[in-house]
Amino acid sequence: MAEEGWEPKIVAFCCNWCSYGGADTAGMGRFQQPASTRVIKVMCSGRIDPLHVFNAFLEGADAVLVTGCHIGDCHYVNGNEKTEVRYEFLEEMLQQLGLEPDRLHLNWISASEGERFANFITDVTAKVKELGPSPLKPAGVK
Amino acid sequence: MIGNVYQTVCPGCNMGCGLYIREDEEGALAVDFMKSSPANLGKLCRFGMKLAHHYSKATSMVDGKEASVEDAVKAASDKLKGADVTMLGVGNTTNEESLAFSKVADALGTVVNTGMGVYSELPTECHPTVGVGITLDEIESANRIALFVDPYIQYPLLVRRILAAKKIGASVVSVGWKDLHLADENRYIDPDLYESELGLDSESVIIADVHPNTDPGWVKRMLNLALKTQAKILFMKPFVNATGVDLLCKGTGQKGISEIMDGINEGSIKTLVTLNSDPIELMPDSDAAAATLTKLDNLIVISSRDGPVNKMADIVIATEPLYAKAGSFMNVEGLLLNNSGESTTGIDSMSTLSQNLGGEAMDYQNLHNNVLESIVQKYTKPKYKELTCEVLDIGPVEEKGNLIYLYNPFMWFDQSDDNDFVMVNMNMVNKLGLSKGGMIALTSDAGTVNMRYRVEDMPDGLILTAKKLPVATEWTTIVSTEAV
Amino acid sequence: MVNVGDMLVGYATNEDVRKRGASGGLVTAVLAAALEKGLVENVVVMKHINEFEAVPIITDDVDEVLASTGSLHSVPVNLAKYAMGRKVAMPAKPCDTQAVIEQAKRGMIDLDNTYVVGLNCGGSMHPVTTKKMLVEMYDIDPEDVVGEDIEKGKLIFKTKNGEEKAIAIDELEEAGFGRRESCRYCTLKIPVNADLACGNWGVIGDKAGSATFCQVMNDKGVKLLDNAIEAGRIEVEPASDKAIAIRAKVNDVMVNLGNTLEKEIFPEIPDEERMQYYMEPMADCIDCGACKEVCPVCACGEDSKCTMFHSLVDNYKMSMYHMVRLLHLSDSCIACGQCSDVCPSDIPITLLQSSFAIPSQRKREYTPGMNVDDVPPFFEVILK
Repeated sequence: MAEEGWEPKIVAFCCNWCSYGGADTAGMGRFQQPASTRVIKVMCSGRIDPLHVFNAFLEGADAVLVTGCHIGDCHYVNGNEKTEVRYEFLEEMLQQLGLEPDRLHLNWISASEGERFANFITDVTAKVKELGPSPLKPAGVK
Repeated sequence: MIGNVYQTVCPGCNMGCGLYIREDEEGALAVDFMKSSPANLGKLCRFGMKLAHHYSKATSMVDGKEASVEDAVKAASDKLKGADVTMLGVGNTTNEESLAFSKVADALGTVVNTGMGVYSELPTECHPTVGVGITLDEIESANRIALFVDPYIQYPLLVRRILAAKKIGASVVSVGWKDLHLADENRYIDPDLYESELGLDSESVIIADVHPNTDPGWVKRMLNLALKTQAKILFMKPFVNATGVDLLCKGTGQKGISEIMDGINEGSIKTLVTLNSDPIELMPDSDAAAATLTKLDNLIVISSRDGPVNKMADIVIATEPLYAKAGSFMNVEGLLLNNSGESTTGIDSMSTLSQNLGGEAMDYQNLHNNVLESIVQKYTKPKYKELTCEVLDIGPVEEKGNLIYLYNPFMWFDQSDDNDFVMVNMNMVNKLGLSKGGMIALTSDAGTVNMRYRVEDMPDGLILTAKKLPVATEWTTIVSTEAV
Repeated sequence: MVNVGDMLVGYATNEDVRKRGASGGLVTAVLAAALEKGLVENVVVMKHINEFEAVPIITDDVDEVLASTGSLHSVPVNLAKYAMGRKVAMPAKPCDTQAVIEQAKRGMIDLDNTYVVGLNCGGSMHPVTTKKMLVEMYDIDPEDVVGEDIEKGKLIFKTKNGEEKAIAIDELEEAGFGRRESCRYCTLKIPVNADLACGNWGVIGDKAGSATFCQVMNDKGVKLLDNAIEAGRIEVEPASDKAIAIRAKVNDVMVNLGNTLEKEIFPEIPDEERMQYYMEPMADCIDCGACKEVCPVCACGEDSKCTMFHSLVDNYKMSMYHMVRLLHLSDSCIACGQCSDVCPSDIPITLLQSSFAIPSQRKREYTPGMNVDDVPPFFEVILK
């Protein structure tokens, strides 16, 4: 458990066409969500390499979210299907490593699903706050 | 067989790590593992893994022009005849070549300096203890280990020995510059408290090191600690054959490298002959060393490698690469290790040189037999010589700066590596306001350099480096720091 | 003419090779014939230095091939990387064969031009540990050893004065000696993935010790044997049903032992302790890169993701290099044990890599190194 007032740092990879739009919509719709998330925009969730996720954790992220378009809606046809396959390996590996499963999530969110995005962030932030700082967090990162 | 395979020893330090060097049809080198090698079981540190980059071929030169090795030897003989010569051989080559070098010294009426000035400040009874250490296996059976070196950075093949000792219950105390993962305790205490605070006894092992830039007072302090606590002591060393060369060239009356450089600056040394020893690489301040060498009348370099000193030399006598030489080395435990190579260009050149100067001729077999008789038979099994000297007077304590050199194989050869950063602690980061991914500026009398930094658990105010920096003037330098 | 699937017993016609060979010298004779008759340009063999040391060489000299005969249980090298970029014939333990096939999948070895003479393997040992074992458990001076053998679960050493001493491998391994850890849980003892699968299991009666059992696995195997027969270097005859049954039985025993030991060697780790279990040994890493250099399955070369995004200046809790390798090898690690052998900090890398690889491979019912047409799960992002 963390000290009083500790706020988790969450890195969310969002695709340009859907989930980033969803994050935008959440903002415009003034849906309440904690300010815990740092968004990294990629053109397609298929661009996300497990290395990016490792890097985020090693640099001090308490949780990493991989988000993109719903299956069938990918702007590049099947980029997100590749994400799904890669995510399976990544999730398995991090679980084997002993990282708490609640620190890594995959979620398909469309550009119009602002409330859904906000709820997702709120949910994850609460869970990670419970878990405390990531065991992979290096010295000097709160 | 296509290409060649040589059994040899890594020249990074005096651990004596055996390995294979493979040469393919095009002469490209690769490293391979010799798992039956006793010192290291085939395992290699980062320096050993990069050896293919280390063996840069030397070229014979006379007055800046390429020459044949025979012409270079002749030119050297002409320059050396009747001259007042200083000779430097730190032990970066085989026993046989070092012995040949001594015979050339005999012909010139001088001695080979091993660069370990520290020996001339120690009573002779202490030399065996500093000269040949306990066996590496004995580290594994110690009850307690006191580390005065950082094994991860400086002598990596020690790590597994210490871990093996820990597995059967040994405790490890590090008395260094930064926290070590394998240490149970990390103590940063006043040296006067070592005897009372470190909890050492006759079942303990002290691991320290000695090298050309060691403070003699420090070596005395280590010896006293061993003497008072009855702990065994191992002095690690750089150079593939530091132990062999020490035994062959004998301890006292030898000049240290700094002493030689001072002599050149003063003008009392005018002619310098080096054997696989590059003062520009070895001295803490490369630029100052290079400037000093320009003051020589004659600089003659006998070397198997290309290096900065080759470019400044009047004459370069190029010998075969270290791994190809016929020859032997003695590691820090006193174990004799043999090359499988058969080339003798270095020895033959020195034999001709010796004869031209009125000395004896030499050949490999003779030299090898001599080595076996003189240093091996005396130490047929690694023999740990217990201290028989009295407690030593340490003398004036050396002033320490805040920038510390963590001597390691890459540093001794000034070889580039991924260690292009300095180590500081979190307090310094916060105090200076260093930015993440940013740099720290270090300034001394010798200039300024901006370096990346890595955060370590270590005492306040210190900056550690595993890479030679142009701002350093000694192994420890005073620098001012600020964020970039 | 032999056929695919044939189970044969044979030996080298050269008496000297037959005698010096591990059991009949068939493998050596086949390799020599392949070189002699131009089937290949070079052969990869082990050049013997002493009982505990040998170095892989690539040769075009038949005499060097003949001189390399005899097995060395204490030289745990993997020969796959020496075959890269060349047309060679080579002897290969099951793990060497797996690595060759994995390199072929990655385009680094041309399998059509690489002839793999597989060798049965019960396990190899580390030379320095073996020397210690000889002194402490056998009371033999390592310098006196002239040969060794593994028979019926016992490790036998022969000395120059004709003595033979045998101790059960279980006993040795319990005392901390014996085979390398990765060999203990290996279950690929007969190299069915090679062109020929050779060994001494199933060689019975008066031929025991002087003939080799050889199973022809594929067309290249046929070529190898026919070539050697034509060259007059070997003689073969069909193996008896009894011999075949005995060989299968020995294999079953070894595979069962491997499965049992796997359960003993891999600990059950509670979830809360996992991260420490992995981070703790890896904290001693000195960044030498030897584990990647020696890995016979790695084919990325110098520009690889594990090294390009890793820097010594990072002070991460776990290095990027290790994290990437744990993920990237989980589909293809063959648990050959080379990485653990060469790690200067004695990190049990094979054990750690296999903890990821074994569950990952079993879940996908994929075994690396068996067939060049099996695509590794990571290669193709197989879409629905």
